[in-house]
Amino acid sequence: MKSYSSKLWIHLTPALLFLILPFFGIITAVRHSIFADEGFTLNFYQELFQSDRFFSSLAFSIRTSIIATALAIMIGLILVRLFHPYLAKLSPRISVWLPMLFPHFVWGYLVILLLAESGLFAQVLSAIGWIDGTNHFPILTRDPYGFGIIITYVWKEVPFVILMLLPVYAAIPTTSYDVVKTLGGNRWDQFKTVEWPHIQPTLIETCLIIFSFTLTAYEVPALIGTTYPEMVSVLSYQWFYGGSWDERPLAFVVMVCVSIVIFMIALTSYLYLNRRRMRAMRGRL
Amino acid sequence: MIKPMKIIFYSLAILLFIGPVFLLVLQSFTEVWQFSAGQSLTFQLDSYSTLVSDPNIMEATFWSLVIGACVLVINLVIGLLSGKALSSSSFKGKSLLEALFLAPILIPVLAIAMGLHLFMIRIGLADTWTGVVLIHLVPTLPYSIKIFHNAYHQFGNHLLEQAEILGATGFRQLHTIELPLLKPAIRSVTFLTIVISLSQYAITAIIGGGRIITLPLVFFPFLQTANTSLMAAFSVWFALLPFFMYLVVELLLLLLPYTRKPWRNLR
Repeated sequence: MKSYSSKLWIHLTPALLFLILPFFGIITAVRHSIFADEGFTLNFYQELFQSDRFFSSLAFSIRTSIIATALAIMIGLILVRLFHPYLAKLSPRISVWLPMLFPHFVWGYLVILLLAESGLFAQVLSAIGWIDGTNHFPILTRDPYGFGIIITYVWKEVPFVILMLLPVYAAIPTTSYDVVKTLGGNRWDQFKTVEWPHIQPTLIETCLIIFSFTLTAYEVPALIGTTYPEMVSVLSYQWFYGGSWDERPLAFVVMVCVSIVIFMIALTSYLYLNRRRMRAMRGRL
Repeated sequence: MIKPMKIIFYSLAILLFIGPVFLLVLQSFTEVWQFSAGQSLTFQLDSYSTLVSDPNIMEATFWSLVIGACVLVINLVIGLLSGKALSSSSFKGKSLLEALFLAPILIPVLAIAMGLHLFMIRIGLADTWTGVVLIHLVPTLPYSIKIFHNAYHQFGNHLLEQAEILGATGFRQLHTIELPLLKPAIRSVTFLTIVISLSQYAITAIIGGGRIITLPLVFFPFLQTANTSLMAAFSVWFALLPFFMYLVVELLLLLLPYTRKPWRNLR
């Protein structure tokens, strides 16, 4: 089809034009972080790296995101493994995807409604006498440990993990399981030799998407987080909109640092997956 | 015989997903819960009448819908074109291009919005709804391109080649082959795009400059003042908009060929 190849670039042009937006945006953010009125400078980075507030925020953010991502992936994977035959039907699938109808911060509000100290659970538990008064309920929202943020993200991302993994599981041929069974393998062997190679690329991609989102999204921590320690996104947004104009470059520096963290992780996993693919192609897997 | 796995599945689904949403809807129709004070449920509709009569919320709903609809249309057009291009041909650097199209999901959108802010001011797009539409493309379009790419990949090139050989024009191919087969993809893109667009507080505030008020921008300040029932109603309102948009899209999809028109079966 010759006409396809000539049309190819016309079809791709709008998408390529779109790419200007994010890449120009991030490049400008980097530029704002290294240029002041008097030209190139690394002062903003120096200033930031002397700030305890930044490091405690970065550590808190990375810890929170890793826990949220790991829990979401594990729970999602377990649910898909156990129930993917049911999830092939429409109504079970819709019931699982129900949280995806709501924006993240609305789900965060639901977590407050249910799990806050004056929330439904606290009220019910104290009404039936399991705890003496709602003030004995553990503090799970706006807490210094990030429980509220983690709960919201895990709850909201499990359906996303299911969405990503379901087509992969549906495509695994059932005969592969039979091979493992015939050769005397147990369920762990089935997972390791049949499922894992199939799901690994999607699993890593999903991991990356959830990690970078939870690390940098503003809405949920702004709603359900506390003022100290705060997530990097909240810190950066405050510096961007803070009273002082001097803090604006710092907002950019925070975001650039976080982007570098994400980029390194993405690059590592890309190289890892690519190496595996190359080895598989040479038949040395 | 009812399988035990099925019971476990439905109990989990009710506990984790259906139950919480049910409680949210219940709260929106009842007075603020005070079970510890020994009160039981009192039903009311005030929260919804307050919601609907609040001019700020209605205006924000309007702008959220306008912005969401524009974002959706652009997503559909660009997603469809690039999905087709990516699946119908192989060329050098294609896998790199696919990675590039997916990359904006991983770049912090907050950093992108901050970076574009000054540029948007310079070209006069800051504080306008057009600017907000543009920035909302960043977290949505990578998903749409991927969804359409997968969809085109699934039904393969042969159908389109046949149409081409039989002399169908591009538009006719689109109308009679591609769009009918792409219906599931269009539905997914509709839901995803609207929900993501409704989820953006920070980047809408930055690019909209506080002048373009969408629903999230009303939701956050409301949290400080409104009571629980009103907030619950507001939360439910957020989920109604994707349904509304879905309904509109579904009606438009009825115009496509080979669709069973519901009114045909009416007697």
